[in-house]
Amino acid sequence: MYIATNTHILVAEFDYVEPTTLEEVFWHLSEHGPQARLIAGGTDLLVQMKMERKNPACLISLARVLELQGMTSNSGLTVGATASIRSLARSEPIGRHYTALAEACNAFSTIPIMVMATLGGNLCNASPAADTAPPLLAFDASVALVSRAGQRVVPLEDFFLGPGQTALRHDEVLRSVHLAESVRGAGSAFVKVARVAADISQVCAAVRVVRDGDHVIDCRIALGAVAPTPVRAHRAEAFLTGQRPDRGRVDDAARIAGEDTKPITDVRATQEYRRHASRVIVRDALTTAWLRAGGRELK
Amino acid sequence: MTPAERRYMSSDELRAVGSVAWRKDGVAKVTGAEQYAPDIALSRMWYARVLRSPHAHARITRIDTSVAEALGAVCLTFADIPKVKYNERIVSTPPHLYRDRYVLADKARHVGEAVAAVAAPTEALAEKALRAIKVDYEPLQTILNAEDSMRSGAEPIHASVRLGDAEIPIENNVAVTRSIQVGDIDKGFAESEFVIEREFTTHPIYHAQMETKSVVCRPEPDEAITVWATAQSIHNVRQLLGEIYSIPLHKVNVRRVALGGTFGSSIQVNSVIPICVGLALRALRPVKLVSTREEDMYDHVRYPTNIRLRLGLKRDGTLVAGHMRAIVDIGAHNIQAFPFLGVLAGFWASLYRLPHMKYEGRAVYTNRTPSCAMQGFGAPQVTFAVESLMDEIAHELGMDPIDLKLKNYVGLGGTFWGHGPTVQSIVRSDGVPELVGLGAKKIGWKERPRPGSQTGRYRRGIGMARGFHTSGVGHPKATGAEMIDYSGAFVKINEDGSVDVVQSLMDHGGGTLEAIAKIVADELGVPLEKVGLSPVDTRTTVYDVTTHATRGVYAGGAAAQKAARKAKAILLDYASRLLGVLPEALVIEPDVRLGQGVIHCPSLADRRITVGAVAKACQVNSWGTIAAVESLRQVNCPPAYVTYFVEVEVDTDTGNVRTRRAAIGSDCGTVVNPDLAAGQLTGGLSKGAGYALIEDCRWDAQTGELLSRGFWIDGKTPSVSESPLLEDVHTDFAKTYEPSGPFGAKGLGEASTNPCAGAYANALYNALGVRFYELPVTPEKILAALQRKEPAYDARDERRTAVAPAR
Repeated sequence: MYIATNTHILVAEFDYVEPTTLEEVFWHLSEHGPQARLIAGGTDLLVQMKMERKNPACLISLARVLELQGMTSNSGLTVGATASIRSLARSEPIGRHYTALAEACNAFSTIPIMVMATLGGNLCNASPAADTAPPLLAFDASVALVSRAGQRVVPLEDFFLGPGQTALRHDEVLRSVHLAESVRGAGSAFVKVARVAADISQVCAAVRVVRDGDHVIDCRIALGAVAPTPVRAHRAEAFLTGQRPDRGRVDDAARIAGEDTKPITDVRATQEYRRHASRVIVRDALTTAWLRAGGRELK
Repeated sequence: MTPAERRYMSSDELRAVGSVAWRKDGVAKVTGAEQYAPDIALSRMWYARVLRSPHAHARITRIDTSVAEALGAVCLTFADIPKVKYNERIVSTPPHLYRDRYVLADKARHVGEAVAAVAAPTEALAEKALRAIKVDYEPLQTILNAEDSMRSGAEPIHASVRLGDAEIPIENNVAVTRSIQVGDIDKGFAESEFVIEREFTTHPIYHAQMETKSVVCRPEPDEAITVWATAQSIHNVRQLLGEIYSIPLHKVNVRRVALGGTFGSSIQVNSVIPICVGLALRALRPVKLVSTREEDMYDHVRYPTNIRLRLGLKRDGTLVAGHMRAIVDIGAHNIQAFPFLGVLAGFWASLYRLPHMKYEGRAVYTNRTPSCAMQGFGAPQVTFAVESLMDEIAHELGMDPIDLKLKNYVGLGGTFWGHGPTVQSIVRSDGVPELVGLGAKKIGWKERPRPGSQTGRYRRGIGMARGFHTSGVGHPKATGAEMIDYSGAFVKINEDGSVDVVQSLMDHGGGTLEAIAKIVADELGVPLEKVGLSPVDTRTTVYDVTTHATRGVYAGGAAAQKAARKAKAILLDYASRLLGVLPEALVIEPDVRLGQGVIHCPSLADRRITVGAVAKACQVNSWGTIAAVESLRQVNCPPAYVTYFVEVEVDTDTGNVRTRRAAIGSDCGTVVNPDLAAGQLTGGLSKGAGYALIEDCRWDAQTGELLSRGFWIDGKTPSVSESPLLEDVHTDFAKTYEPSGPFGAKGLGEASTNPCAGAYANALYNALGVRFYELPVTPEKILAALQRKEPAYDARDERRTAVAPAR
């Protein structure tokens, strides 16, 4: 039933703290218990609070925690959880080695949102339509979750449990995201169907292929907004791996990926349209990624 | 033609009309200093919130505000308001005004209807108090479409409404019907050699104006009230508040603030205004009410229509007969259904000559967001239907659509129905052939593809549609009018030769007031920068009906010109005393070096004096202030013609439509603000493309909630990234002069969007060979239509290129 919520007034009252170290964050988490929530850019959480879908008693800001910032190269790339989407969109190494992620960040939203929103926030919000999730899945990303008890590393594919639900325990903080090292002969692409870049995806896909000569020797296909979580299209990946791609094979792989989706109908798009569009964009993304990997024009 | 106009026509280089100048409100707007209604902040001010119905249709059996009041809030419910049934759009004359609402609802008729309101020291406390109000509802059958609503046995939404002085019953939820006949259609269709009938469906969309409806009301010590509000007419706000709350008009002062866009959604006195006044009168302190975006989206949409159109022609393409049946879903309240039914007929009759025509319109209540005027008021709907059908007829008859249209259109000497059957005048300026020629050349009309001839993934098409909007709703008849239409102005020449224009006319943001300043400058012969636009309110201005119906420049500008002309006569009279020359021998011209208007006698070189020197002499000699006040009602309603050519590119894999190019031509008579006029046309393209392809409002069939939940993400107007590059949008203006307009100007604003949806539908037909009769033409609908037309469509995927062409 219609509830008179709005995006104008933040009705709830709550405490707000700005710790500067992870240790302080852990202290606040144990002090306030499950009523506390972590906030980074707030571009999702504050809207949800205004619409009263979330009512935390305490907000723990991560904005000043140095341990969550920065980007380091070490057999791959480790990105701090509070890196802004805008910083990733403008990062030269990400644009070169993780092209699909850069494309997703550039298509993320309007610039004010990109400046505020963070990579960790986009993942922890766990929207099925999160734009950064498919490219990260395509780059075999894992997330480092830290608590007083120590750190555990979880593959991103196991991190998402459902809409708004993740493997993050209440006493944990997502510290960083690690992307696998880029290899020779790799190419990637991100394609999104939305009205405009600044909109939430109706459906989005990221693809990474590794080429050896005329063959695909490794392949990742991931989709957003087609299932309760961002998903890999394992069957389609297996279908293409080891193959010499041509237009027919790429289209078959895209069809398999489309068949494996479980989209819903909502105000943004119908189920049928999402399934159809996911097939189109997987095909487009595969074709672009193959060309970026140095592959010959598909026949 | 007056001397000033003759001088204008002789292309005086110093004229303000037609020049590009800095807007007088430009600096304030770009620096954020401009004050809009939500910017008003007063000491002791409280904040208001409105409790809205969660039910689409329900009796309200009890409202308990005790807990909210205990929190310190002032509350307002149906029990507290004056029981005055009103219509919020007091533009129609009293005998034609259908009144069906109160300040707060007696019964919930749509989700989001205002049921109660609170004011409290902070907005957060007001929100808290709002939630503490308990309302008992008794839900009734929810009716969300016109067909269901008219069925016998459907739950009545309004048992009766007030029309004039009488309470009239409402049967089968039909708010009003209108039938219009010209000639004899039976004879007409019998004489026709080609007959075609199609059904068109247009959808409701949200106005998507930037400013949500806002109001601040301050009760004054002398039992007066001062109001700042989102409004297209400050005088109508004043009069309605006076009527509802029984306050004499001299004690209701509504002040003009800048408008953050409206697209017609504030022609009516916004529903939040009397609510805020009621709270302020109870709280005895200033109260501010700013609608949330969600509330605003539950407040108004464009009228959706179902139009069955049948046309009969001779084989040579001469139109003979037409029959239109329209069903209009007006939502929960009748804001202006009667004039809406009239304009559907009138705009149809004014597009193409129909010797025999019959029109039957029905407006039906439903339990959803009330429909109201939106840019074009009926013209976007009817033009989509007529221009789609004319394109189809042209293809059927093997004619070029342009030839068919030029053969039949209502142009010079024809009768134009500016606002339904009672507002008519003869067309005296017509730039249609010029604009059609220009647009066709710029878009490459002759080189357009053959419909349905393309097979690739990306297919291009060019479509053309034409139309117009009226310029105001003036007409020559002395009495019996359906609509009020006049403006007034007060022009005063200051003691240094500068000028104050005091006029209650509203500017939606398109530069109407800028045009007023230019018209006054040229009429008086003073430089534009010496003309000031005074801040105004209802106590210090004469009446202006409202800025709607594309009347701002044509009607408001003519009123200002009339007042300026009178002030000028007084000025020349005083100047003649000082110069010893008869006033008839004097002229005024702006002097750039002096930054002043200079009065001189062309026949005697030594007789010169500045406007400022005359005004100062008037003061020093105690002759008086040079000033004049005038009202003016236009006696014509000239068509502001517009032609549209658009080129689209359809991605047949995703169904997405990209606008590649557009050529838009406007016949607005003399162009007063050239840069702003071009901006109006590109803005019209944006709003029209959104209407044709993207924007929509849908309600949950069970609950009557907006599927968007008032969350303004998916249904919004196209953004820059969805629009063609500005250099690919050509705008042209016809070289016409409207004899009845100020310096030859007529309207422009609403015309800029009216034919747009028709042009898109025709361009899509050209690209795909498929006709779309239902708006919006979404990617889903395009894919479904392609799959119906080309069953083998899916199998051909691999033959296509998968890489999108560079933009």
